[in-house]
Amino acid sequence: MAAADIPSAALRHHDLCSRGIRLARKMRSDVTDLLDIYVERQGLDASISVAAVDGVPAAAAERWAEQSGTQRLLDNLAAYRAFRTLLAQMLEEQREQLGDADAELGPALAAVLLQVSAFAYHLEELLELESRGAPAEEGSEPPAPPRLSLFEQKLRGLGVLRELAQWAVRSVRDLRQLAKHGPGTTLEGSGTALGLPESQ
Amino acid sequence: MANPIPSACCVVLAVVVVYAQRHSQQDSHIQYERVGADVTMKCGSMDWDAAVTWTANGTDIDDSHLNGSYLILKNVDLTQSGQYSCYEGSSWHLKYQTNLRVGVPPKEPVLMCRSNNYPKGFYCSWHLPSPTYIPNSFNISVIHGTREMVCEKDIFPKNRCHIRYLQLFSTVKYKVTLTVTNALGKNSTTLTFDEFAIVKPDPPESVVAKPVPNNPRRLEVSWQNPSSWPDPESFPLKFFLRYRPLILDQWQHVELSDGTSHTITDAYAGKEYIIQVAAKDNDIGTWSDWSVAVHATPWTEEPKHLTTEIQIIDPHLSQRSGDNLPQPPPPPPPHSLRTLPVLSLFISSILHTLRTYHASRHRCGGGQSHHPPSRGTCPKKPRR
Repeated sequence: MAAADIPSAALRHHDLCSRGIRLARKMRSDVTDLLDIYVERQGLDASISVAAVDGVPAAAAERWAEQSGTQRLLDNLAAYRAFRTLLAQMLEEQREQLGDADAELGPALAAVLLQVSAFAYHLEELLELESRGAPAEEGSEPPAPPRLSLFEQKLRGLGVLRELAQWAVRSVRDLRQLAKHGPGTTLEGSGTALGLPESQ
Repeated sequence: MANPIPSACCVVLAVVVVYAQRHSQQDSHIQYERVGADVTMKCGSMDWDAAVTWTANGTDIDDSHLNGSYLILKNVDLTQSGQYSCYEGSSWHLKYQTNLRVGVPPKEPVLMCRSNNYPKGFYCSWHLPSPTYIPNSFNISVIHGTREMVCEKDIFPKNRCHIRYLQLFSTVKYKVTLTVTNALGKNSTTLTFDEFAIVKPDPPESVVAKPVPNNPRRLEVSWQNPSSWPDPESFPLKFFLRYRPLILDQWQHVELSDGTSHTITDAYAGKEYIIQVAAKDNDIGTWSDWSVAVHATPWTEEPKHLTTEIQIIDPHLSQRSGDNLPQPPPPPPPHSLRTLPVLSLFISSILHTLRTYHASRHRCGGGQSHHPPSRGTCPKKPRR
């Protein structure tokens, strides 16, 4: 990278991190509202406990402070790509269950899905700037949703949204750490990518 | 023939040792009873019809409390705690001794958990809503999913322990159970919470408020992050400032998303203000308690001398030095000048009344007042 590009890369990095933080915070706010709507429309108790759902990326991280910037971005990107698929499935299920009769849940789901897609794209840009490139998405078709009863579908949806809300908070923290340490730096701890293929 | 003196010494020594052992065993005997219980004490191995004397803390107990050699205490209360001893009638040998402790079983304890040093960990503290009057022991367990976590007891205060986070951003709730046990019973309480819900910083520190020179309506306020918050750069705090003049009850509020200072620009001139600040993580948890209050008064101008007004009214009052000739009486001032001091007093009182009126009507967010509305919200603490 030429010397003249370094300051602009740093500025772009800072800009992307700041915008990403704003996106994540807005997403979290909208997911929180969506959770309220979802619980009400699906007739669930807001305090119900949901066990870990297969295929839903858990936001929980051990030794979070020790992660490298690249690892943070890769974890975030993998998560939001998964949420993009999960939310699309939920939207489809919701349309089958409630159809056009539901004027609130469907649009709210669609709006969050859009934000998740935008955020995933944003993370890809950050990875490009890190000179890592975004890994290709695995497989051409998303995995088929598991066969579940209606109630199980509702619980699964609740688990997805709760985990997404958690991820939104984590993403704000991750991006703040990224902004603090600047572009292209590798922090202490495991600083290597998982060996995912580089994008073209 | 064997020397009798060492043998006698050994016998005496043996008796002393046995006596001491018995006495120490009896001293260490503690008996716990509930308030209101009926207590019966036996005099060791003495028969029921043996002649004995009971004492409580060295004072003889009246025979009316005896049933044979048994001591009967009905409906015991806290004042009856103490050392009870039983002596054989004629020899005054100590036959039995116990330390009676009257108390109650524990009520449900009060448990609180909070993270004031996120993301390092959290602490839990507890207390009993009412005393038991006897020793209690506390046991706390912390479960996160399937994992049992260690709560390390603090040296001070004793009723507190802290847990280090092993995971962050988990949706799995924490379950904390506190059990209190004493000789008369046990009780417990359980708290279940999310990682984010218990995050509550300590109040901001070193709050300082100063007047701004030549600005009668400004006050500069500054503060610091609480020292217990470990990483304000990565986990920034936002702040809520409230202020009011001492003469009014209504607070003004300002929410600040960054920075640790703020300039109040709508202070009432010359009025002493009380100011406080609270803190919250930018994204999660709840507001801290209010900081220690500070007081400040905006800058005020020095008052001018009164002689200026008199000179305007009657410029002819001054005389040249050495001039002893009587002066003709000064002509009366024009009508407008004569009424000037009366008019100024009238205007001052009108202004004061207006200020008082507007002060009583002024509300957060503006309204009809000519004072600039404060930014932020009116409730005591904002929502998250």
